[in-house]
Amino acid sequence: MAVLIMMRRLFIIWNKLGSIHLTVILCLLLAVDLTCGYVCLNRRTTLFAPLNDIGLAAWIDTYGRYNLAYTAWFFILLGLLTLLCVNTFVCTTDHVAALMRTRALFSFHRLFFKFAPHVMHYALIVILSGYLSSYLFAQVLDTRTLVPGASMTLPDTKARINFEDFDPVYYRSDRLPAFRDRVLRPRARLLLTDGDRRRAAVLTANRPVNFKGYGIFLKDFAPKEKEGGMDRRIRIDMSIRKDPGVRFYMAGMLLFTAGLVMYLVEWFFFRKVKKEAL
Amino acid sequence: MNDGTQMIRYLAILLIASLICSCGSTDSDQQQSFLQIGEFTINRIAPDRTEVRDGAGRTLVLIPRDAPMPEDVEATRVVRVPVKRVAVYGFFDVTTLRVLGVLEEVLVGVTCPHDEWYIEEVKEGMASGKIAYLGDSSSIDFERLKKQQPELVLTWDHSVIPMLGELGIPCAITSTPTAMCLNARMRFVQFLAPFFHREKEADAFFDRVNGALVDIRLRTADAGPPPKVMWGDIYEKRVLVEPGNAWVGELVGLAQSDYLFDDVYGTSCIEIAVERFLYSGEDADILFTYRTTDSGATSKAAVARMNPLLEGIRPLKSGKVFAPLPHYVQSGDRLDEILTEIAAILHPEAYPNFERRYFVELPDTDPMPEGGRL
Repeated sequence: MAVLIMMRRLFIIWNKLGSIHLTVILCLLLAVDLTCGYVCLNRRTTLFAPLNDIGLAAWIDTYGRYNLAYTAWFFILLGLLTLLCVNTFVCTTDHVAALMRTRALFSFHRLFFKFAPHVMHYALIVILSGYLSSYLFAQVLDTRTLVPGASMTLPDTKARINFEDFDPVYYRSDRLPAFRDRVLRPRARLLLTDGDRRRAAVLTANRPVNFKGYGIFLKDFAPKEKEGGMDRRIRIDMSIRKDPGVRFYMAGMLLFTAGLVMYLVEWFFFRKVKKEAL
Repeated sequence: MNDGTQMIRYLAILLIASLICSCGSTDSDQQQSFLQIGEFTINRIAPDRTEVRDGAGRTLVLIPRDAPMPEDVEATRVVRVPVKRVAVYGFFDVTTLRVLGVLEEVLVGVTCPHDEWYIEEVKEGMASGKIAYLGDSSSIDFERLKKQQPELVLTWDHSVIPMLGELGIPCAITSTPTAMCLNARMRFVQFLAPFFHREKEADAFFDRVNGALVDIRLRTADAGPPPKVMWGDIYEKRVLVEPGNAWVGELVGLAQSDYLFDDVYGTSCIEIAVERFLYSGEDADILFTYRTTDSGATSKAAVARMNPLLEGIRPLKSGKVFAPLPHYVQSGDRLDEILTEIAAILHPEAYPNFERRYFVELPDTDPMPEGGRL
């Protein structure tokens, strides 16, 4: 009897967690919370930027806890996103189960493409889990500075990163005179050595280099223009990360893309066929 | 009650509970273990281990002088405290050592020659040979630096980090990509304090400057109409100003005045378009220029001669222009006096008979040489 009562309660909780009402409320709350976040983030980048370097747990224990007036929205965001993931999982699983129960009504192809929205929903959960594991488990080497000719060794390996040369692309147009001869695209030429194996790579902003499981990111550089300025000596500041979350969210993105393609095929092909049949 | 209302109630309870939990775990002892000063932080992990984050986002580990070397940190990221010998690039860092009361004791190298110093302790130290001139900041003599055996280098120049690493000398970057706000400027001394075990001196300095700010707020609360202020200059190829997030921008606002570059955000001495500068120049009452009298800012006419574009801005035509005196940049230990002087410039009616020590108001034209013509 007790088991039955417990099962019944679990069933009620499961249904509530998968409710569309919950989805709508969560989306509204997320919108409100992110609006608060926008206000709190404004001109307080110094509070949130270290999240990338020190990880979520250390950030919560330091910056997060000591600036609650400005970071509470972020904690609430984490809670809301967790609930949204649970809600998405329960809702999608319910629909998948229902689809499986009625599978006899559809042809294999029709059934396959009917899974499209659910694949996208599961993909969203994988992406969010990837980002969470990224912030929780990434091993980050904070700012590492190199000048031409200098090198550094990756921890626990013999792999070396050597900064060979800085070869930036400058703004040449006259449309924005104030920006003329400023660096548009910083390009740092690296030589990556692992034992006898050598590989040349170009590190630029927003295009990290992958090496021995580490992601090498360009954080800052100098000089920022061809002539003048106070910081004239060539250097690059790198942030180096070993991030287990990358595989998750890349897989999630692929899964989402596959779901989207399935959805479009279903939309354009099966629905069109159905309309024509009518 | 419908499903939606129930759901909102559950969620509200959950959110409030999570907030209470996160607030509840912040007790006063833990408050002191982590201190954020702009982009700098101090995190006291254990009695014999303090982790600090410098202006470049690098974590340095401070350990007692006799403690064993930690195995989880690179040697050049470990600083044994209290530091006994330090080489310094910037004036502001030197004045911070003065605030901490360790300047004469620990400073062994600077990047500015003897005749450019206004700080007596540094001049005397250089004359006696205790403090070495290490060469210009863009071309440091590393042999000389090594000979001085510093245990720490305080610098703004990231490009020396690899070389210092090779020499086995830890360094801390004391400049930040974003301009220091007023709070960070006042508290920066608290960032350097743990390196020298001078926390009490740092706190006393902060209290002193904070007292000056409270006084400024009281005096200027009922002051006259807010003057419009701009801080920067036009150079040959660039226009540099202090952004609204910089300490000067915040101070101007605190002293019941309008800072005209309040919308500009970023690094100190940030470059903006000349049109933006001239646009604010149409309204401004007061201009603080970066140029000192030594670099030619002797009068409004002289400033206009250096850059004719400035001629049309209001402070030069009918307003006021103030230039820092040469010793201003070496007076960071007198921050309370500097803040008060700026407030007195903005609201002279609130500070009758105030004698300026760090800024000079530029006359319309250069004074005529005695018995001669210009």
